[in-house]
Amino acid sequence: MKLLPTKPLRLPRFRTYVPAPTDPKIFWFNSERDGIVSDVVRRILERYQGDEDIELCLNDAAYNEIRRHEARTDEGASNRLEYWRGIVRRLSRMSSEGKQETLRECATKMAYDVAGNFDPRVYKFAAKAVPGLLTAVMNPASMIRSLLDSGARLDELVSAQGPIDKLRALQRKGTVVLAPTHCSNLDSIAIAWVLLRENLSPVVYGAGKNLFSNPIISFFMHNLGAYRVDRRIKATLYKEVLKSYSSVMIERGYHSLFFPGGTRSRSGAIEKRLKLGLAGSGVEAFSRNHARGVRRPVYFVPATINYALVLEAETLVDDYLKEQGRHRYIIEDDEFSRVERWISFFSRFRALESACVIRFGEPMDPFGNQVDEDGRSLAPGGRTVDPMTYVTRRGQAVVDSARDAAYTRELGDAIAHSYGVETVAMPTQLLAHVIFRRMVRATPGLDLFARLRHRGDIAIPVDELTTDLGNTRDALLGLEQRGRIHVDALLRRESPQRILERCLATWDGYHLRPVAKIVSGSVLAEDPNLLLYYSNRLRGFAAELAIGNEADRAAAHDIEVMELRS
Amino acid sequence: MSRVAVLGGGGFGRALAAQVARTAGVVTLWSRQPRESGDDKIRATTRFADVAEAELVFLAVPSIHVAALAREVGNHLDGTHLLVHVSRGLLGNDLTTISQLLRATTPCRRVGVLAGPLVARALAEGEPGGGVVGSLFPEVSDAVREAIGGPTMRIYGTTDVVGVEIASAMVGLFALGIGYAQGRGFGPATTAMLATRGMAEATRVGLACGATERTFSGLAGFGDLMAAVAGDGRPESMFGRALAEGLPLAEAAARAGAFVEGAGIAGQVAAFAERHAMEAPISAGMAALLSGKASGAAVLAQLMSRPVRGE
Repeated sequence: MKLLPTKPLRLPRFRTYVPAPTDPKIFWFNSERDGIVSDVVRRILERYQGDEDIELCLNDAAYNEIRRHEARTDEGASNRLEYWRGIVRRLSRMSSEGKQETLRECATKMAYDVAGNFDPRVYKFAAKAVPGLLTAVMNPASMIRSLLDSGARLDELVSAQGPIDKLRALQRKGTVVLAPTHCSNLDSIAIAWVLLRENLSPVVYGAGKNLFSNPIISFFMHNLGAYRVDRRIKATLYKEVLKSYSSVMIERGYHSLFFPGGTRSRSGAIEKRLKLGLAGSGVEAFSRNHARGVRRPVYFVPATINYALVLEAETLVDDYLKEQGRHRYIIEDDEFSRVERWISFFSRFRALESACVIRFGEPMDPFGNQVDEDGRSLAPGGRTVDPMTYVTRRGQAVVDSARDAAYTRELGDAIAHSYGVETVAMPTQLLAHVIFRRMVRATPGLDLFARLRHRGDIAIPVDELTTDLGNTRDALLGLEQRGRIHVDALLRRESPQRILERCLATWDGYHLRPVAKIVSGSVLAEDPNLLLYYSNRLRGFAAELAIGNEADRAAAHDIEVMELRS
Repeated sequence: MSRVAVLGGGGFGRALAAQVARTAGVVTLWSRQPRESGDDKIRATTRFADVAEAELVFLAVPSIHVAALAREVGNHLDGTHLLVHVSRGLLGNDLTTISQLLRATTPCRRVGVLAGPLVARALAEGEPGGGVVGSLFPEVSDAVREAIGGPTMRIYGTTDVVGVEIASAMVGLFALGIGYAQGRGFGPATTAMLATRGMAEATRVGLACGATERTFSGLAGFGDLMAAVAGDGRPESMFGRALAEGLPLAEAAARAGAFVEGAGIAGQVAAFAERHAMEAPISAGMAALLSGKASGAAVLAQLMSRPVRGE
């Protein structure tokens, strides 16, 4: 694998593709790339103006880059190492112009490294290939059939809900920034497919460089407009370049996507604390455009990605528990768990039934106001409000980074709130919630880690569990009626008995260890970690879902406290 | 056109308007009933449209009236307005803050809260003092400083909005409790104990709401409580003293002469603490006392018999 190139490949070009007027904005990307990079560099030069500022910035970049390259052994690394050491040697003797020129050079290199490519040929190929590939990952047993009949099969596996017509209209009126929840590496592929299928414009997004290390994925990512985010580069300058790049893209009208949770949710819960770097660039893009008289709206669209099964559930929850418990969490069966990971990896290729629901929330302006079909911002009473007023002070539209940082925090709260109400409860999450609540009930006074050690020794009679499941489902439907959450169709439709059977069958084919199984008329909670992971999605609703007896309510209170303290 | 407006013609609203008039010049003072201001620089009005002409708008009405007033005035405001409230109230058992309510019911985003040892009398008389503005937006703190800061008024700023609001609300509650204890004849040691343990409780509640610890030792927390203990004549203290004399709630409230936010806070904080599985014994005791479920002696006995742990 190491022999394969990691530098993104591009296809040779024999003639220039001229975008049609109906093509999405991204089709213009290649012709605008140099302009985008020079905008980014200009912004960096504006940001670092004084001699001292520039010196500090270059020193920080050199220090971090030298440390990073020192740990590498390849030839490219020694060249880069020499380059940065040279800068350090010369920096103290440089004139002001010299420093500026060096900053320009570094920022330009970084910006080109970040910038992607867009190849319409790859896009058109991917449009045909993605359904098959995605179906293959989600339901590999039917790979051959799905390759023949991919569209129809994938439609069943991945569904999209929410104001999709409105999104289509808004994409024509302004720049749309999608902000979904994040729990699996499949998220970006699933979103890309749904955009394609629903005739929504493709989006640009910052993909971690680890995704680029696989040459095939790298090829697709790079040629479909994704920009590279190398988390190993710690230099502040690089972070500024990334932020400016994303801001410039939004300013220029490229629909974008970012995951405000930062990384995949480890706990399985809906993200509450959002990393807002890129949302900030959306707010900044709006301010900058308006300050120079360009009235192009920016719309943020929260979305939830809801899986009945999460590909990386075991690894994620393991990570979560390590972080939560630190030294208290003892990893059992360490060597086995490594083998388990391998088997779990290959178990993806076994027969299973899977489902993913992507639910788009109501679009909002950068200030958290809802917008109507025509893209106008609405005040809480329904009156239209001019978004420009938010960047205006004493009659002037101005760029103010402190103000925009505050707007960004508030926007984060609005997005997090939307995640709550746009969550689609999946059958596996509800079943896990009911079993986990029973586990909590059976282990009063214990802390989470003590509870999780009860592997396979908590049994719930099937008829009791199905009654619980039915009652909790009813409570969930009540919450749905009050607009607090959404419920998956299967969960709404099937009998509790059937839900139990289908969930157990689904888990059974997917995870290495059974999550729960039926033995002598009782359901055994086999893998408390995974039960915790799947149940966490609903833990914020624990108190309202416990409408049974006092013991259930007490258990729900314990679960709710976990949520409140998270 | 004045750049500053004050909504609310009560004692505090009028005092705030007087301070703006002294510092920044002309101010619009809105109240529901028409009234004369008696000062050229204070332009009294009953029209929201006049309020909308200002850039900085103070909301100086009790928390129970804020929601309705915010909805009404919200129809006249937009993103340019800086909206700052001075309420000591919290809403519901999940302790929704007034600034959260303002964001949900008006188009204004640049909102803030003004708190600290500010009472109507001292403001009106221009006594040297200070306050703190909690806002995520530095321009809101700057605007308040421009409007009311000056030789007799120092205005600090913090981005810990929720901390300022929780601290301010709970100080109201403890002012009431201390007033009650003093009315019962307890001395400085009891006052100090209530104040110190009360602020520890407020800090716990604040942290659970995402506040920063140091806010509670600042002007909105201890600073404000010291003013109450020193006897700045605030309604909460008077209300507590009246209760200690054995007056029923309605009569005690009448003697306080203003809406006492602290009376409602106790139950809300106690319910919040129970849900979050945290200890808030003073709030719970005050809630029991104010709802008539326990006598003062019983609450005191209960508080003093709790197991003692590290401070």
